[in-house]
Amino acid sequence: MSAHNVTEQAKDYLIELLSHQAESDSMNWLKSQCKEINNSAKAMKLFLAFGKASKYFDKSTLRLNHAQAKEAEKIRKGFTPSAWDKLQTARTVLILSFPQQDEGLWFKTMNQLFETGDMQELKSLYAALPIYPFQDKLTDRAIEGLRTNMTLVFDAVALDNPYPSEYFDERAWNQMLLKAVFMQRPLFLIQNADQRSNENLASILIDFAHEKWAAGRNVMPELWRYVAPFLDDSRLKDIEKVLNSADMLEKQAALLACHQSSFPKAKAYLSKYPAIQKDIEAGIINWESIGKSFAETLIKN
Amino acid sequence: MEMYIDPHLHAVSRTTDDYEAMRKAGVVAIIEPAFWLGQPRTEVGSFKDYFSTLVGWERFRAKQFGIVHYCTIGLNSKEANNEALAEEVMELLPLYATKEGVVAIGEIGYDDQTAAEDKYYRLQLELAKEVELPVLIHTPHRDKKKGTTRSMDVSEEHGLPPHMVIVDHNNEETVKEVLDRGYWAAFTIYPHTKMGSNRMVEIVKKYGPERIIVDSAADWGISDPLAVPKTAALMRKHGIPEEHIRMTCYQNALTAYSQSGQMDESDWLNPEPIDQRLKHAGNSVLRGGQTPRVEGPSDYVEN
Repeated sequence: MSAHNVTEQAKDYLIELLSHQAESDSMNWLKSQCKEINNSAKAMKLFLAFGKASKYFDKSTLRLNHAQAKEAEKIRKGFTPSAWDKLQTARTVLILSFPQQDEGLWFKTMNQLFETGDMQELKSLYAALPIYPFQDKLTDRAIEGLRTNMTLVFDAVALDNPYPSEYFDERAWNQMLLKAVFMQRPLFLIQNADQRSNENLASILIDFAHEKWAAGRNVMPELWRYVAPFLDDSRLKDIEKVLNSADMLEKQAALLACHQSSFPKAKAYLSKYPAIQKDIEAGIINWESIGKSFAETLIKN
Repeated sequence: MEMYIDPHLHAVSRTTDDYEAMRKAGVVAIIEPAFWLGQPRTEVGSFKDYFSTLVGWERFRAKQFGIVHYCTIGLNSKEANNEALAEEVMELLPLYATKEGVVAIGEIGYDDQTAAEDKYYRLQLELAKEVELPVLIHTPHRDKKKGTTRSMDVSEEHGLPPHMVIVDHNNEETVKEVLDRGYWAAFTIYPHTKMGSNRMVEIVKKYGPERIIVDSAADWGISDPLAVPKTAALMRKHGIPEEHIRMTCYQNALTAYSQSGQMDESDWLNPEPIDQRLKHAGNSVLRGGQTPRVEGPSDYVEN
């Protein structure tokens, strides 16, 4: 499918989604703005509408049923707007309405939006990366987005987004994973992470764990997912340490890493914990369940 | 616990210790007016990045401490005197004026009361009308009385209704005219140069609480980010009625700036969940109740 087709289809799909969940006045405003933005190719039209969208759409999360989620996947592999809010959806529609024939103008306009965006605007701009045109020229922008200290913005690039796994080189990918661990983000929402796991990342993460332990702190249980494919004798000592933790999630994570490893000594641990082993084999304990439980422990009252 | 709003505070110059102290003292929301940085900027890009900080990073940083952050966008009077630069800043303003959480055009007005200041003050009054936002007027420190009168005269010349205009940095000499003409009268409790808390108490005794707003204007100078809660405490000590304290240290600012459509009590009474994804976990913690929530440790980046 050509890039232009993807953006057109994504735009129509998002308008359709929104129209069932937003006021008709707001939808009329959005459609009229899209028309003007598309016809005029004036950046200022887009800029003003992009800002003003907050007057017409709130930040409640979109509701997607199973069929709608699958449809997104059909338009663009990995396209996952299930955690998007209505305002960011409307903003994405506005962006996708800007003419794409003139690549230079498109980038100039987008760069201005990125450079002047507030937190919510940046969230929409980065989350829509996979449905923009000129996919192969957006890598630096995506990496720039990860340099933020604002969680919302970081998440927009790193989570529910196929772009990093498709376009990042190993260095950039590993930095993203490491920073996600630093920020204790829900790692299970990073797409295609198992396919991109690598020896260097495992080694960086083990070093990170040692640093944390030296400081008397814990590391998040999901980290061991990326160490699992590279277990050896020395790393098994780290797994043992986690296994002996009083924390149930850490125990589960260590055993799940052993379960997924092809290293026989690691596999041998599983039989010592038959109850957890059973749940792992039944798929009740998986990285998502561990990640979700851990995220809940972070929510502070 | 009482709730306070500090509707004038330059948070870019303040530390996280200040944020924590403000939160403990009951400050639930602040408004950060765009101003100068202690020295003049020489490039339009510096303005762009500054405005981006106000709507982006600084808002995020405040939220870490359970404080809701709003801002006003404008070209301040001091820097309006660099006309070539001022022209470029004027082109930037529409990009920021319509953003979420921007509650006024400000702080604008006069400093030296030059022709250039007058020109850009007027242009920004027109912008405020266009984007339907209130205006925050910075009255000059020198020749204050005449400057204050002139600020209001010019605002009326451009057809702005007084209820959409907040006149800041008032003192005993200016307050009567500002109130009589129907404007919001804000007072900056700033050691040495502007108002002291004791004088503020006298003003509320004399004029009552209607349309009077207390703020700190805490910035890079010797200033106090707790000026609003401290002044409220002093009012209490002097027997000012609780309702008058609530109006001058909370409600009036909310009423004045919520005319922007960008500020609402529910922003701090029922803050949005920090992570929409976790909302579906059915965790009642995410619905904030009456106490603003502080984000978890996951939002601190340790580098």
